[in-house]
Amino acid sequence: MRIPKFEYFSPSSIEEVCSLLYKYKNEAKLLAGGTDLFVKMKKKEVLPKYVINLKGIEGLDRIQWEESEGLRIGPLVTHDAIVHHPAVRGNYDFLAETCFKIGTRQVRNMGTLVGNLCNASPSSDAASPLLVLDAKLKLIHLYGERIVPLEEFFVGPFQTILEPQEMVLEVQIPKTPPRSAGSYQYIHKATSVGETLVGAAVFLTLDSKDLTCREARIGLSSVAPTPIRAKVAERVLNGKRLEEKVIKEAAQVASEETQPRSRAWYRREMSKVLVEQAILQAMEKIK
Amino acid sequence: MKKQLIELRVNGESHELAIEPQRTLLEVLREDLGLTGAKEACGTGECGACTVLIDGKPILSCLTLAIEAQGKEITTIEGLVKGGELHPLQKAFIRYGAIQCGYCTSGMILNAKSILDENPKPSREEILKGLEGNLCRCTGYNKILDAIMAVSIGEE
Repeated sequence: MRIPKFEYFSPSSIEEVCSLLYKYKNEAKLLAGGTDLFVKMKKKEVLPKYVINLKGIEGLDRIQWEESEGLRIGPLVTHDAIVHHPAVRGNYDFLAETCFKIGTRQVRNMGTLVGNLCNASPSSDAASPLLVLDAKLKLIHLYGERIVPLEEFFVGPFQTILEPQEMVLEVQIPKTPPRSAGSYQYIHKATSVGETLVGAAVFLTLDSKDLTCREARIGLSSVAPTPIRAKVAERVLNGKRLEEKVIKEAAQVASEETQPRSRAWYRREMSKVLVEQAILQAMEKIK
Repeated sequence: MKKQLIELRVNGESHELAIEPQRTLLEVLREDLGLTGAKEACGTGECGACTVLIDGKPILSCLTLAIEAQGKEITTIEGLVKGGELHPLQKAFIRYGAIQCGYCTSGMILNAKSILDENPKPSREEILKGLEGNLCRCTGYNKILDAIMAVSIGEE
């Protein structure tokens, strides 16, 4: 299978990328890892006239951790880099674990977190943990920038709010509070790529003394047109002591918030199971 | 599209080539450099038959542009033979019968090499997880795991 022809650019600065995007808009595609872009181009689902490679720009593969602000992940940071980064493992362990689940060893060496988000697959694994970590994206274009919550970034299957002249410059993940932890639980299809059938991320913050839930966040992949937050279920947990009955109720409510297209009954049932498991594992980590 | 002049370092040797930008590293290795060890099977990054190492890390050469691989050290299966002698992994694959049609073997061995370079004493589970992106459709995986385990414990 061949990649259709295109004109190639390898700019050495963000400004250059922005001017090229501004000039060519929808006719251009950015190249980071290539694991989604070139597959789509080979299948002729996407046929850009211009491909702009970001790899010639220094510093875009950086992960920056600041004690006060949290984590910033550049557009060329690969899944493998996230898996191995001490600040990610130390502060957002379930994000590192999730990235270790993505693709294969080869794909993790090539594919980037930002590319995964821009692809906006409803089954994106990374999206759920990032949703519950309240991640934001910094988008830039030639004449400005904006910061949007990840939740607002996805608008439909493989669709984002990204304008043709914009690029994602970084993922920002806030610092997590004390007595908090997250978990990602999933089941996947038995195919060569093991695409996720249901993925559930839970991030909990508990009261300083007991098992009362200060704040719960629940994110789900592969059960709706986009990765989603299950906010009604979150409200079931907020302010409550996390006992079996409450946890089961929240899991049930979360499964009712899903809108699966295919294998709907099974995906709903598994959403319930996985949300419950993720809550229990997050609690276990806090103890 | 206009051809561009690029320089690729493959198995320690530099090659100057004039290529169109949409050509994959796999195509250039096979068609321009005659290195046919890396194979194309799925062409979409699922099977791992096209695996080569870039700066020691396994990547999919069917989803990498040759033009992107400039300035990097590319290792193909042909580069594992030193002074006419096969690499220990190649010998072990033969000894354990971890090879049948051979189509997945180059990618398997290169990925296995990177796994052992990163962690010389992996568990069987760690090897299995590492090889998740290399599909074999004839030998089965047990003999492949046996061969890699044998090399990891220093069995010649």
